[in-house]
Formats: sequence, C-alpha cells, structure tokens
Amino acid sequence: MIATPNLINKVVSGITTWARVNSPWIIHFNSGSCNGCDIEILATLTPYYDIERFGIKLKGSPRHADVLICTGPVTRQARSRLLRIYEQMPEPKFVVAVGSCGISGGTFAGCYNIVGHIDEVLPVDAYIPGCPPRPEAIIDGVVKLLTHLKNGTRPEPIKPQLGEQA
Amino acid sequence: METVLAITSIMFFPAGISLILGGMLYEWADRKLVARFQNRIGPRWFQPLADTIKLISKEEIQPLGVNRALFFGLPVVALAGALTAALYVPIFGLQPAHSFPGDLIVTLYLLSLLTMCTGLAGWNSDSRFSIVGATRTLTQLFAYEAPFLLALLGPAMAADSWQISKIVAYTETHWMIVLQPVGFVIALIGLMGKLELPPFDAPEAETEIVAGALTEYSGRGLALFHIGKSVEMVVGVTLVTAFYLGGLGNPLIFLAKTLGLLLVMAFLQSVLVRLRIDQTVGMWWRAGAILALLQILALIVLK
Repeated sequence: MIATPNLINKVVSGITTWARVNSPWIIHFNSGSCNGCDIEILATLTPYYDIERFGIKLKGSPRHADVLICTGPVTRQARSRLLRIYEQMPEPKFVVAVGSCGISGGTFAGCYNIVGHIDEVLPVDAYIPGCPPRPEAIIDGVVKLLTHLKNGTRPEPIKPQLGEQA
Repeated sequence: METVLAITSIMFFPAGISLILGGMLYEWADRKLVARFQNRIGPRWFQPLADTIKLISKEEIQPLGVNRALFFGLPVVALAGALTAALYVPIFGLQPAHSFPGDLIVTLYLLSLLTMCTGLAGWNSDSRFSIVGATRTLTQLFAYEAPFLLALLGPAMAADSWQISKIVAYTETHWMIVLQPVGFVIALIGLMGKLELPPFDAPEAETEIVAGALTEYSGRGLALFHIGKSVEMVVGVTLVTAFYLGGLGNPLIFLAKTLGLLLVMAFLQSVLVRLRIDQTVGMWWRAGAILALLQILALIVLK
C-alpha cells in the first residue's frame, strides 16, 4: 500500500504538533510592569514548581524561544523594543500576557506614558489575569495555551496595529 | 558488501541514527540527574527528542550581514565531525567500527571540530553577544584542550600504542583510575569543559551574554548544534570510561560505568558555580596542564 501525501502530511503535522506541545521554550519580557508579575514568573521557574517537567525552559535569546511571556502595560519607550523582540522570534510563535496590566493596562491605564495593553501592540494568544497571578495560575495559563495548540484550535489572535505611532 | 557495511556504519550503527538517539538518551539522563540533585522531578524521557523535532520544524532565520554558506554549513560540519569521531571509539562498549594506528589523535581533533564550528558560527553571526560567546568558546578551547589531550595520552603511553582499540585492550587488565588518578580527574574535568557544562559554561552564560555563540541560530541550525553536543557527550564519556575505568568488558557493565561517570558529572555540575573566563584559563594552565605534564613525566621516568 502506498501512503498518500495526505496521510504523510497528517502524520508529520501530528508529530510536529506533539513536539511543539511538549517543548515550549519561553522568553520573558517586561514592557513596563511594576515587577510584581516578573517576580511571580521567576518563582514559577524555581525548582519548587519545576516546569521542566513539561519541557518548559527559559531561554535568553528570542531566536530560540517559542512563547513570549509579556508583563505589564506597554510604555512608549518599550513599544519598539517589544516589537523588535517579537519579530526576532522564529515562526510559529505565541504570546502570553501575564497580569492585569498586560490585559487592560491595569492601574496604569490612561497614563501619559502608556501606549496601552499588550494586545494593542502584539497578537496575544493567552491571557493570565491577576495582580500578580500566582505561579499556579501562570502554569495553568501556559497549559491552556498548549491544550489549544494540541487541539489545533489556536485562540483567535487580535490583529496588531503596527502602523500608527500612538 | 564492504560498501554496504561502511554505509551502515555511517548512517545507522554505530554512528548515525543510533548514536543520535543514544546522545538524546544521555542528554536526558544528564538533565534528569541534575534535576534530581536539585530536588526536582526533571524532564520526561522523550524531552530531548521533542526539543529536536520542534526545533527542526521551526522557521530558520538568517540574520543580516552573515555569510550564508558558513551560516548554514557550520552546523552540518559540527555534527558530521562529532559523528565521525564516533567511528573510532568503542561506542556502547562495542569494538570500534574502524581502527588504524594513531586514531586517538584523529578522534580528539574531530571532537574539537564542534567547538571550532561553534566559535566560527558566533563570529559569523554578526551580533555582539555571539562574538563575545565565540571569543570565550575559543579561549576556553585553548585552556582545556592541551591538558585533556595529555590526560588521554597517559593510558596511551602506558599501553605503548596510539590506537584506541589497542589501548582499550590494555586498560581492560589495568584500571587506569588506580594507576593514573591525576589523569582521570583531568580527563573528567576536561570533558566537562569540552561540553561547556557548569562550571565551564561561561561561553553560553545566559545571564550575561544571552546564549553565547549560538544566540542568532534558530530552528534547524540550533538543533544540529544541540545534537552535535549530545553526540560529543556520548563519545567523550565513552572515551574516558574505556581509558580509565577498566576497558570494554561486557557492554551492559560498560553502560553502567558510563552512567556512573555521568552521575559524577551531574553532581559536579550541580555543586559548582560558573567560573569567569580568566579563572577557567588560569586554573587549566596553572593546575591542569602542570599536573598532566608531571604525570607524563612520571610515566616516562618509571617506565
């Protein structure tokens, strides 16, 4: 029996999806938060929570990473840097917004130095609410993103508005 | 028939696919052991495989200002060097696939090829982090290479041969770890330097220079460098075990010995902290090289 190209495609995409779900490497960027969420993210990376169980690894270089974990509102100064880091990541890439400020601007909403929340700048795939969210909540958010990936139902991203300088 | 055997030995066994899979298992064992030392659960057994497949399926970005041929060629050369080195080494406790007088030196130089390629890749990447990483990689190469070579020359001089299969036949009856303990320590620590494990991970120090020489690599190139490094780990651990821990013997017992060596390496990785690059070089040339030379001198005098 000759395997049809369709079947081969199916098997290959199944394998790559499996690999992608089991090995998300993350990079962490603070675009103007108060550091509360960053401390919780670092706590998530400690041996106590041991997310290497799920294959999650913190990477220094955006070229190596799959998931960009953003915290905080986007300040005017951080906007171009955030975009540059996002564009340096190879496809397929995902963005997780951590904390209230990343979702809505939080306590900084409407400030003179703020562009806005993260999905005004980048297409965000998962939101983790909390001020700051507990490490368990962060792990839960990443796992939810991975479940979506596994089922092939990538959460509908909100389109970025790269053109205008806010 | 000869050709078929040669192709099999390059593509499937002992080099090629089986060695790549073996390298992944060793990498997993190393990561798991470090995790257990840190009181964590650690990665699952298929973790390196999943990492590799994911990296291969990812986009490969070519940065501006790099030499295209070098950028895509270097990972292939690095992996090829590590895989070729495996042909002359008793992988998994089996006799080497190929053997000729002087293959010890060839193997050591093939093992250095990966480091050279990493350095060149960093220089070619045209990014400040990768250039700093490349400088550190090559500086460190000059530090550990000579003592490591001298440490592996000890058994070779004792066995009166530069052919790995003859040395291994000699060490089967003479436990070199008892006869040349200094050489064993230097070979083990030199291997950790070669693999850029802590405390010698200054070339890829995440907290200072992002990811060292491989900062600009993504996707397939990164995957090939990763595989090359785990293959080098298998080859290096096998070489040190065969030279210092009682030769080949039974493949199962040999595997247990290599795992024991890996346990020691994981322990050292967990308890030691990163050395600055000048401390690394100073330590190797002030202590490592002199001790290795003294041992060689003692061998010459006592022989």
